[in-house]
Amino acid sequence: MNGPPVTSAAEPLPALDRRRRIAARTRLDFWFDLVLLIGYTLAYSYGFTGIAIHEWLGIGLGLALLLHLTLHWDWVIRTTRRVLDPRGHDKVIWLVNLALLFGMTLCVASGILISRVALPYLGIYPLAGPFWERLHVVTAEVTLGLVPVHLALRWRWLIRVGRRLLTFRPAGRQR
Amino acid sequence: MADPGRAAAADLSAGGAAAVKFVRHLGAVTLVVAVVVVIGLAWNHFEPGTLVGGVQASFDKQASASGRAPGVAVLRPGAKTGGPHGPHGRVVIVRNGPMNLGLGSMFDPVNLAVLRHTVVIEAVVIAIVVMIDVSRRLWRQERRRARQLAPYRSDDEPDQ
Repeated sequence: MNGPPVTSAAEPLPALDRRRRIAARTRLDFWFDLVLLIGYTLAYSYGFTGIAIHEWLGIGLGLALLLHLTLHWDWVIRTTRRVLDPRGHDKVIWLVNLALLFGMTLCVASGILISRVALPYLGIYPLAGPFWERLHVVTAEVTLGLVPVHLALRWRWLIRVGRRLLTFRPAGRQR
Repeated sequence: MADPGRAAAADLSAGGAAAVKFVRHLGAVTLVVAVVVVIGLAWNHFEPGTLVGGVQASFDKQASASGRAPGVAVLRPGAKTGGPHGPHGRVVIVRNGPMNLGLGSMFDPVNLAVLRHTVVIEAVVIAIVVMIDVSRRLWRQERRRARQLAPYRSDDEPDQ
């Protein structure tokens, strides 16, 4: 990714080309993670969005999380193998991600089971109950603590990629 | 010379392999998520009291065979509620006109405080984790530097 410029030194590298050099997968990860964070923040702020948006956003987040996990499944397998090694790295990240997987899955599942607008609108009447309502609240609070930790543990990557993707340098100015 | 037909076939097979890999991973993820959901259902079935006390037990006994929560009445559009013969308890209204997304509340400045509260919590947690990570790295660097300097000191000292 940090290879030499393909153009000659006399010809300045436009900002667009600089951005193109970032791998498509890295760009997808960055923007998708950002969308997930914004979606989660909005979905958690129930009093701000109202119940209908909260429920539809929650269902959408559930599907997006499936995709997020699928895109990073290689990492999951690789790190799970390494966790068993006493000298292995990423143990903290692995544990946080495991807790987040449980928290988020149970939060979305319990949210679906206590749905009052989205599922009844589709003609589905889930069996609600105090257990699921309590579980939804507890897991939502747990995930509010874990999502920022999950993000912050990769802050160097986020800063590095974010700086390259979001910095606009006019053509003709090079570092 | 490169054969363009062979290159195209290689691209196609690489794309196909990626699609198969994606579907395989999606299947594995779905399985893991299903296991977590089953754990949640088992928790509700065997140990609901750990989360809500004794309320769940009485709720389970009342659960109707239709799969609807006890005390829930489903009203079709135009049906009347209340009154001496009307439904009691929780009421679910079915497809009564277009769905109200409640978008008005999003632009109400009063409700912005809720969003601000969430963002502040996230920002504080992120700041704490980043500070811990930075201090941990600095401490590691210091230790590594100290370890690199240590052998020189011992070598320089004359043998007694």
